Amino acid sequence: MTVPDLYNRRFVLFSGKGGVGKTTLAASFALSCARRGERTLLMELDAKNKASSLFGVGEIDEEIREIDDNLYGVAVTPAEAMKEYALMVLKIKLIYRAVFENRVVSSFLRVIPGLNELVMLGKAYYHTQETDENGRQKWDKVIVDAPATGHGIFFLKIPSVITNLIGSGLMFEEANRILELLRDPARTGIAIVTLAEDMPVNETLMLTEVLTDEMELPIACVIANAIYRPLFSDDERDWIDDAQDFLCDEESEDVLQEFRGFIEAAKFRNDRVAMQQHYLELLRDNGDWPLMEIPYYFFDRMSFAIIDEIANDLSESLGQTKRQATG
Amino acid sequence: MAIDDTKTFAEVLDKRRILICVGSGGVGKTTTSAVVGLQAALSGKRVLVLTIDPARRLANSLGIDEIGNERQKIPLERFQEIGLEPKGELWAMMLDMKESFDRLVQRDAPDEETRDAILNNRFYHYFSTSLAGTQEYAASERLYDLHEEGHFDLIVLDTPPTTHALDFLEAPERLADAVGSRALQWLYKPGVLSGRPGRGLMAVGTNYVMRTLGKFTGGELLRELSVFLRTFSALFDGFEQRARAVQKLLASDDVGFLVVTAPDTLTVEEALFFHDQLGSEALNVDGFVVNRVHPRWVDENTLDRGERELAAKLEALAQRMDHFPESLDFDAMAASMVENALQFQLRADQDAGSVVHMSQELPSETPIVQVPYFNQDIHSLGGLDTARRELFG
Repeated sequence: MTVPDLYNRRFVLFSGKGGVGKTTLAASFALSCARRGERTLLMELDAKNKASSLFGVGEIDEEIREIDDNLYGVAVTPAEAMKEYALMVLKIKLIYRAVFENRVVSSFLRVIPGLNELVMLGKAYYHTQETDENGRQKWDKVIVDAPATGHGIFFLKIPSVITNLIGSGLMFEEANRILELLRDPARTGIAIVTLAEDMPVNETLMLTEVLTDEMELPIACVIANAIYRPLFSDDERDWIDDAQDFLCDEESEDVLQEFRGFIEAAKFRNDRVAMQQHYLELLRDNGDWPLMEIPYYFFDRMSFAIIDEIANDLSESLGQTKRQATG
Repeated sequence: MAIDDTKTFAEVLDKRRILICVGSGGVGKTTTSAVVGLQAALSGKRVLVLTIDPARRLANSLGIDEIGNERQKIPLERFQEIGLEPKGELWAMMLDMKESFDRLVQRDAPDEETRDAILNNRFYHYFSTSLAGTQEYAASERLYDLHEEGHFDLIVLDTPPTTHALDFLEAPERLADAVGSRALQWLYKPGVLSGRPGRGLMAVGTNYVMRTLGKFTGGELLRELSVFLRTFSALFDGFEQRARAVQKLLASDDVGFLVVTAPDTLTVEEALFFHDQLGSEALNVDGFVVNRVHPRWVDENTLDRGERELAAKLEALAQRMDHFPESLDFDAMAASMVENALQFQLRADQDAGSVVHMSQELPSETPIVQVPYFNQDIHSLGGLDTARRELFG
């Protein structure tokens, strides 16, 4: 399998439907980057602070703050991003107030398609370009946990929607710059998180097709999350199937009945493993992007212990790619 | 304690004309909607399951090729094949958001010219599919129509995944507000954008404000959008009226909400958050459905008895089954089985803990019902029926 060169991109976006573990993986990846000595910014877009509980820090808000060594977090809301952006352009707070806090204007801004998404992406863009007082890049990595919209694709489509819709103005220029960054495989990588199940896999295949063919965006990898480790050999599996059938037929109060749970649990494991392997194969057969697998965790997923472990896994499997000089 | 109160849960079906399934993404809302619909159909109701997902799996599990924009009835044979005799009827329909919104324009446009101007406007497409709340708005509109029509005894609605349960409820108001607010109406009055001094109260500052805004959006966008909004404003009256009617319906006793969740901590927190939001609007929350609960396969005592005893039992079983491959190492297999059972025990404990936590947080009269994690995804009517038995006893 090709190793995805996620570590070589400065701008990495985690996309995928809700409930697939996108936030956990974005956080784990960010942690692994920080541990490689890269100054890393983890951006949560329009989400309810999921990352803060993972790192056991107080609420991550619109102020960038350090959440681990080398690792910084920020929660971006459209309103705050809009304000920051407008202030950056307008320079004067009073003008910002007069214009953007005007009731008419705020109503108006609400109906501009995609504006919310654009200003959030705009903030991410800004941080990928940001330099310190010595003119060096401020961030080695900017990692975005994209909002779990019904269709993750909507978010990534926004810049091109805007450039198609309008032809001038700052918004247009901003959208163009963002689009250029998004399309540049040297700087940007999109990681699509999925589960090895029917619906998530079908949606992922649809998403990858649209991203590649229609939008020309670089898919760095697809990450299949929560994969069960197979525990039983083929022979054992056959035997367990037989035993399960045998015990189902057996009406008698057999002394074995109390041990039957072991066989049922084993059968459950085997069936789940088989199903996941089937969908992993489907993913492998239908795309030329690298596919990564993250193991299933039996203990509850939202804890630092887990992202710590996943971060280690990631650095092991991704570390084979050469590290680029930073700065 | 309202855990596994399948009786109270089943009564819900007789109480309501509309059941709305809400919850985060990936918790099995669509399947739950179908299961609830199936139960009601078996008990004699004419039921419509209204889904927003073009999920082929749901179509397959209902025994049809595809769920389209038109309602379709699940053929009786499909039920008979698995030994079910529905006293009622089960129908399914997919909600096409774009189409629903088009209908709304067609209905509320004062004349053909306005209608075409809206439908052909290049903003309209984005507006009807992308603006926050428009999908939810279209869904609630359609639901209202189908309810008014009175053809079905029960409509089960599968809502789009959102982080806020109220997106769906607030959508009508928010949308009417976004395009209909007086502030905005003032904005697209002729003269404001063309730069001529308007007659409005804030006319003096307006030009400056709009020019500055125009820097951001481009003057072209501002102009076109205002033309669009002006045309669209012809629909406002219809919108506002309808939004009020939909909201009244949703808050009435004809409508109940089912919160669907998975048992992991994060999703449970989101579900409880939904519950609070719904409760604060005095809406009827009829129950919690917890999908994918890991069963307890092996009880604690048996788990403690160890690998060696298990290995001996397995070997004895193999003899009786007369399936005794030489390659099989019963000690090794027993060890793997214990490891496996312990891992799932951990999961089952957490899931059970989540359910108890929910029961503590929720009012005692709210039933919490559980569906175990099956070893296969539900692909067939038989699968739906298995889940149904778990939910309704």
